Amino acid sequence: MNLPSPHPSQTRSGVRWYLRHETLLAVLVLVEILIFASLGRRFGTADNAANIVRHSVEIGLLALVMTPIILTGGIDLSVGSVLGLCAVLFGKLWRDAGFPPWLAGVATIGIGSLCGAFNALLIARFRLPPLIVTLGTFSLFRGLAEAVTQGVDAFTNFPESFLFLGGGQLAGLPTQAWILVIAAVGLWITVHRMTFGRSLRTIGFSPEGARFAGLPVERRLVTCYVLAGAVAGVAALTYTARFGTAKADAGMGYELFAITGVVLGGTRILGGVGTIHGTLLGVAAVAILANGLTRVPSLMNIAGELSGMLTGIVLVLALAAGLVPSMIAARRPAPRDSLSTRNSTTTPSA
Amino acid sequence: MKRTLPLLFLVCLGLITGCSKSDSSSSSPAAGEAITVALMPKSKGNAYFVSCREGSEAAAKDLGVELIFDGPTTPDPARQNEIIENWITLGVNVIAVACENRDGISTALRKARQKGIRVVTYDSDAAPDAREFFVNQATPEGIGYGLMDEAARLMGGEGEFAIITASLTAANMNEWQKHIEARRASKHPGLKMVALRPCDDLKDKAQAEATTLMSAHPNLKLIMAICSPAVPGAAEAVKQAGKAGKVQVIGLGLPSENKGYVKEGITQSVILWKTTDLGYLTVEAAVAVARSQLRPGATSFSSRRVGEVQVQGDQILLGKPFVFNKDNIEGFNF
Repeated sequence: MNLPSPHPSQTRSGVRWYLRHETLLAVLVLVEILIFASLGRRFGTADNAANIVRHSVEIGLLALVMTPIILTGGIDLSVGSVLGLCAVLFGKLWRDAGFPPWLAGVATIGIGSLCGAFNALLIARFRLPPLIVTLGTFSLFRGLAEAVTQGVDAFTNFPESFLFLGGGQLAGLPTQAWILVIAAVGLWITVHRMTFGRSLRTIGFSPEGARFAGLPVERRLVTCYVLAGAVAGVAALTYTARFGTAKADAGMGYELFAITGVVLGGTRILGGVGTIHGTLLGVAAVAILANGLTRVPSLMNIAGELSGMLTGIVLVLALAAGLVPSMIAARRPAPRDSLSTRNSTTTPSA
Repeated sequence: MKRTLPLLFLVCLGLITGCSKSDSSSSSPAAGEAITVALMPKSKGNAYFVSCREGSEAAAKDLGVELIFDGPTTPDPARQNEIIENWITLGVNVIAVACENRDGISTALRKARQKGIRVVTYDSDAAPDAREFFVNQATPEGIGYGLMDEAARLMGGEGEFAIITASLTAANMNEWQKHIEARRASKHPGLKMVALRPCDDLKDKAQAEATTLMSAHPNLKLIMAICSPAVPGAAEAVKQAGKAGKVQVIGLGLPSENKGYVKEGITQSVILWKTTDLGYLTVEAAVAVARSQLRPGATSFSSRRVGEVQVQGDQILLGKPFVFNKDNIEGFNF
């Protein structure tokens, strides 16, 4: 079959819109909201909605930048550790080096980019597997954060102007929500409306094919990983501003929450298929579930444990459900291009 | 179709934000009105806090209030903040929290107070302006006196003893040690402290230190371990040296970690507070604060279970520490 580039809308053209993963996920989110609004205590208040958003921004940001990486068939396990390292270095620059918060912030994003560039160097230049590289830097960056602070030093007493980023409201939304909106819109356009995004899918389907087709595979990968590092730096700022303290354990385990959001959002873990809005819905589904459970009186005391379990169940169900549409599409008497549809949804290495 | 997805998402967002009227006013209830107490441990699985929870549930039942018990699964200060922020919008009446990170959580607690939620702390305190009362399980004085008196009782009022501490610079340890020394000088002058050794909060190091102490001071009658890993560490050293009974071990630690040694007769006593009582008293105090029955300036507070307890400034004192020994340690699981 011809290379490369199955456009997203073509990939699933055989799947009716109401059977698409993202649609089903949106329905799930809707059902969650309806259930918790009727059973939960003060679930539907504006305050609580703001809470959900506030607490999800960092994971949302990490999940957003994780999506292009997974689209290429890669993964970045180090984003949570980059967040931690950036948080303590931000604290260090502000408190010990005397930088004003905005300058320390800019430098922090730069540091995040450097961390991403280090990953990118090993992955794109030396062609090492992303899983192994970022598993290593996952420990490396967290270890650096702990070394910088000796594990005990914590940065606090940040000025109000900086804390506004984590606790304030801007035009009706929590301040940091605007960062998420900008990142989401920017990435959506990049991934779904530009050739750049299409090239990522192609790399995910077949890196060798993409190379033959003349795509600058290495450059694309570098962009993805550096972007992930930079955005992890941004997340470090919102995290520190929300919490008021920067410590070496900031963002511990966030990489897995982010990956959960991405995969739940319908991105194929081996690459090639996935959407930005799916990721947003995936993150929202998990965040609303976790928050909603703490609001149902009979479940309040086991909400933490239960939300972990239910997230797992939803994830498995969602992945199983993801197979249904393609099965149905496969049975349907073919419209125009049933063969290519079937091949590209089930065996995307076409 | 592609356009409908973002639309759907927006609808969802709209639903969250708009689907019910904002009724987030939470004023302090009058006596008799239903009260919701939200209690947070440093971490949920920790046996220490599990037993606090038992006490707090008993108190909630006795007082007829609703209790929410939630916290991070591991000691995670950021997660503690998120849960507090959740409780604020949930509209609980009073929050009681054992703080993992003093500065980090104080911001969230101040926010709760601004919204009219009453705040107390227990076990480990927040910044004083972030809460109304701190339920203090043990004062340095209570710990120091308790340890010294127990040592004097076991030693019969005379002889040599040594102390194993976490580090020579730890502020709380030094504070305790100051009170131990003060009590020795005033009440038990027959006792002599021959050494003070740090173990870096490590069981192995405590064991090594205890071994050295026993050979350096052949007349040593008792080792007092004032950080929790040092109690089993010292006991193991005594056991291996075959000096059980000859060199006694006491210390500040968890009953569960020392049960074996206590039953074998190597460790004589473990000193700590009753954590179930701490949980009980915390809920009682929280409810009393929410009903405005406990106000600043109070000097005592009467608890159904613990009895009359002292209030010093903004601290509610649980009272004297409890001595766990061979006779009673079996019943405690934390």
